[in-house]
Amino acid sequence: MSAFLRRFARNRGAVVGAVLLVLVIGMALFAPLLFPGSPWDMAGAPFQPPGEDGMLLGTDSLGRDVAAGIAYGAQVSLIVGAVSTAVALLIGVALGAVAGYLGGWADDAIMRFTEFFQTIPSFVLAILLVAIFTPSIASIIVAIAVVSWPPVTRVVRAEFLSLRNREFVQAAEVLGKRPLAIVLTDILPNALSPIIVLASLMTATAILLESSLSFLGLGDPNMMSWGFLIGSGRSVIRLAWWMSVFPGLAIFLTVLALNLVGEGLSDALNPRLRKRGAAH
Amino acid sequence: MELTRRNLLGATLGATAAAPVLMSAGAALAQGVTPRRGGMLTTILNPEPPVLQIGVNNQTPTLIAGTKITQGLLQFTPKLEPLPQLAKSWTVSPDGLEYVFKLEENVTWHDGKPFTADDVVFSVMQFNREVAPRLRGVLAGIAEATTPDPHTARFVLKQPFEPFLLCFDATAMPIVAKHLFEGQNFRTAPAVQHPVGTGPFRFVEWQRGNFVRMERYEGYWKPGKPYLDGILWRIVPDGQSRRLAIESGQVVMTTATDIEPFDIPALRAKPNLAVTTAGWEYFSPLFWYDLNQRVGPLADKRVRQAMSMALDRNFIVQRLWFGLGRPATGPIASTTRFYDATAKLPPFDVAKAKKLLDEAGHKPGAGGMRFALKHLIPPYGEIWNRMSEYFRQAMRQIGIDVTLESTDAGTWASRVANWDYETTANVLYQFGDPTLGVERSYVTSNIQKITFTNTAGYSNPRVDELFQAGRTAATAAERQKAFSEVQHLLVEEVPLLWVVEVAYPTVTDKKLRNVIQTGTGVHASFDDVFLAS
Amino acid sequence: MDASRLPGFLLRRLLKSALVIVAIAICNFLLIHAAPGDPASVIAGQSGSADPQFMEQLRHQFGLDRPLHVQLGIYLRDVLTLDLGFSHRQQMPVATLILDRLPATLLLTGAAFLLAVSGGVALGALAARRAGTWADSAITALALTFYATPLFWVGLMLVLLFSVQLEWLPSFGMSDPGLDLHGPALWWDVAQHLVLPALTLGLFYLAVYARLTRATMLEVADQDFVKTARAKGVPEGRILRAHILRNALLPVITFAGIQAGQLIGGSILVETVFAWPGIGRLAFDALLARDYAVLLGVFFCTSVMVIVLNLATDLLYAVVDPRVEVTG
Repeated sequence: MSAFLRRFARNRGAVVGAVLLVLVIGMALFAPLLFPGSPWDMAGAPFQPPGEDGMLLGTDSLGRDVAAGIAYGAQVSLIVGAVSTAVALLIGVALGAVAGYLGGWADDAIMRFTEFFQTIPSFVLAILLVAIFTPSIASIIVAIAVVSWPPVTRVVRAEFLSLRNREFVQAAEVLGKRPLAIVLTDILPNALSPIIVLASLMTATAILLESSLSFLGLGDPNMMSWGFLIGSGRSVIRLAWWMSVFPGLAIFLTVLALNLVGEGLSDALNPRLRKRGAAH
Repeated sequence: MELTRRNLLGATLGATAAAPVLMSAGAALAQGVTPRRGGMLTTILNPEPPVLQIGVNNQTPTLIAGTKITQGLLQFTPKLEPLPQLAKSWTVSPDGLEYVFKLEENVTWHDGKPFTADDVVFSVMQFNREVAPRLRGVLAGIAEATTPDPHTARFVLKQPFEPFLLCFDATAMPIVAKHLFEGQNFRTAPAVQHPVGTGPFRFVEWQRGNFVRMERYEGYWKPGKPYLDGILWRIVPDGQSRRLAIESGQVVMTTATDIEPFDIPALRAKPNLAVTTAGWEYFSPLFWYDLNQRVGPLADKRVRQAMSMALDRNFIVQRLWFGLGRPATGPIASTTRFYDATAKLPPFDVAKAKKLLDEAGHKPGAGGMRFALKHLIPPYGEIWNRMSEYFRQAMRQIGIDVTLESTDAGTWASRVANWDYETTANVLYQFGDPTLGVERSYVTSNIQKITFTNTAGYSNPRVDELFQAGRTAATAAERQKAFSEVQHLLVEEVPLLWVVEVAYPTVTDKKLRNVIQTGTGVHASFDDVFLAS
Repeated sequence: MDASRLPGFLLRRLLKSALVIVAIAICNFLLIHAAPGDPASVIAGQSGSADPQFMEQLRHQFGLDRPLHVQLGIYLRDVLTLDLGFSHRQQMPVATLILDRLPATLLLTGAAFLLAVSGGVALGALAARRAGTWADSAITALALTFYATPLFWVGLMLVLLFSVQLEWLPSFGMSDPGLDLHGPALWWDVAQHLVLPALTLGLFYLAVYARLTRATMLEVADQDFVKTARAKGVPEGRILRAHILRNALLPVITFAGIQAGQLIGGSILVETVFAWPGIGRLAFDALLARDYAVLLGVFFCTSVMVIVLNLATDLLYAVVDPRVEVTG
């Protein structure tokens, strides 16, 4: 573990990403302490620029505190990102494992199913799903998960395809280990690195997707998310730039942090690449 | 602070712009500006309408663009007095039963065929009777429609209907060519795709998602007009792009909801642009929060009164609508006929609102909330979202826990039509007269599973009686009596929470003259409009 | 690859594609019909008022009063004859509406795609070649920035900078119809209008391809056959072109095929911001207005496009990498 941490820490970008991520998570956790009351409260005069009226990041068109919105928005964006990624991983890993391990007709069927989902433009599908289920945090999470799992299936299947013919798997089979046990205890742990890396990137993509949906007016109207803030701020961008610049920055930094951490993980988890990295 | 000053300035500008409303080309001449012939008017059409034939579709963009092609018999002043359009004069018999319209004589359709009284009778008795559900009741009251000569149309009513003339604006009763529609499905006839009218501009080209092009009709019945060579309507779905277009001069006019209210102060400050809110008197759009009376607490008058008192209408008008419009005072807009200024809603008072809710038996529970309501956000743009967010915060202040539901246009319309909502918001046109545009939202007989009926399910026998009296009374004085009483009754009952008398801004480049001249504003035919050099 | 096997391969792929298309058609149809709200009530709502007679008239006209399986049957039969139905809202055949808008979307996504692939592969290759230097860091940072920034946000910023501040480029539309241009002048006008939307749509994917190219090139560079070539004294430039880049392109090609659908999705956002008259915007408008016929048509059309592109990538794959076996 400590070796892993040392490897991770060797990547300066990854450390910066991890620090940023911890800050964002901290902001989300302590939002109620930092900004007591609801982020929807009309706390001051509308359209106050940053710094005025005691509002660090200014106020929006109804006099709501943008800083409070960003702090509470961190909760929503992180929850949407994490939960939708978890759901997508669940679907993707299960299908990918079955396809890669069993092969044959199961592989064929699952890959056709995956292809099918990849054929429909995913963002269009997400819009459609959110619209049908009516925009709410649940429908947004479901929609993002439904369009995000196919890459997981492909990656997991590929890993399983290459791992299932390795000696240790064949040995386990010869020893009469049950397939489920082999998948869970022998293959999956060895396929974990790309899954972890993929998960951090998917969380980032999910946060971007949520903001895009909100931008088109398909956000949860009861959740103060960063996407909502940009959506409500973008039309007044030249009257109150701070309304969309700060939440945009928050998204950018969080997505960046997740990507940096993902790369750090990738380097730290992949000894072959690490060797190469050291050579340079 | 600056905001307030700008708004005051805006209000003054609005008022002065409304005064010389009937400035015709002649008046412009008197001011020393000779109408210049030539030039394209480039403007915006938003959202893109499905078709341009008025009647087949009556969305605002269809009406604004369609009125340049299709005309009506009359048009109306800001005070809602009739003016000639295709009818050069008209008479009403003393018993209020017979209406005779004398028509302009040298009018031709854009395909060159002559326009006659037959077209008028066909349009009224067949075309509009089928495609205009709102007027179906009115048109069913016509006992006889005849053409004494090719340029006279005569209608005899079964019983007097005082607002009858108000139905003859181009936006309500478009006059279409009999030879192009007779015997066809009115909604799918070729003329719907390629509209042919009597107006100053003829339809040329429509690149979907891009633009609509109209050109001057050389055979237009007013000699020497129109001044403009044509009109180019660009389709621009994004609000910021629209603002940019008018600012940068890529278009010289925006209408209706093209520009979001928050952009208006900045546009007012531009020396080359003129902003006015005049020209919507005929429609008088009224914004309200709709309360479904079937939802437990909302059946109680005291609850509705409390909710109405929790709304700071001045804040809403100044801060959310940026001074565009006026706080609503009741069910009838101040620019609609028979408005009674003495019927007033109780003022903004949070403490009193809470007391009323206490009296109604809704004591605060956990977290200070008394009961919960859902609010269905109308999916028509920014301002609707802000209004819904304001509603939620205002209601939470008095202990009503409001949750917002967002939706798309299809779901919104169908849920409202099926009474499947607790609260929502809406804007309805009043069409100049309580009988034409107000009655429909309150009378028991109009509780229907259709949008823009009395979907809230409000029912009060006395209100029904008064609207009926207002509908059938032969004289304006008698109608005023009924409508005054109904206004006093309704502000007491608050079946709906009237909030804003909406005034849509028309932004024009100052080179563009004679745009707003009537009570329908940008819905005029634009034969007088010209681009000064 | 054995050339005699190509027709069989093509046939199998075409057959499979056809099945996927039918499945997509059925799925789309059921999905959209599961949505609340029907087009008749939308039109009634938008026309300002309606009565039951009017609603019945509309429902009958739309065929909404027929059983669902009958509507599906009619839809499938029509699709097979390439008749995508009729939009009663717009009073136009759906195929016409889509064909009207398709060129605009193809132009936008095509330009964005070319920008993304050429720029991305070039930057990625450069970064891999100079791995560890400041150039690598700069390119990686730039790619990360584009990758982490919301698409529509980039669009807004570009508009603010190039249209509002600098007034260099038009901010919306595909051309200026007021100028009534023809020939080269029109193309020049369209090209100017294309710059900002294509840049907005392309930058994100440019970042994706740059990262992908860099990563795979580094991976390939480490593999035995490259080491062997190096040991044999093959010039470095040749190693890069013939061995590394060629193999590194494989995942890029795969990804490009998958990305085709994503680009079309992304064009909804971009077409909204820039008022670009393409099918992405058409689909979003149709969704908000519950124009079933148009929605089904757009989904069908984009799915077919993606299938065709995937087929093309498979073939390209076979050409680039002779070792890849072409099987069903």
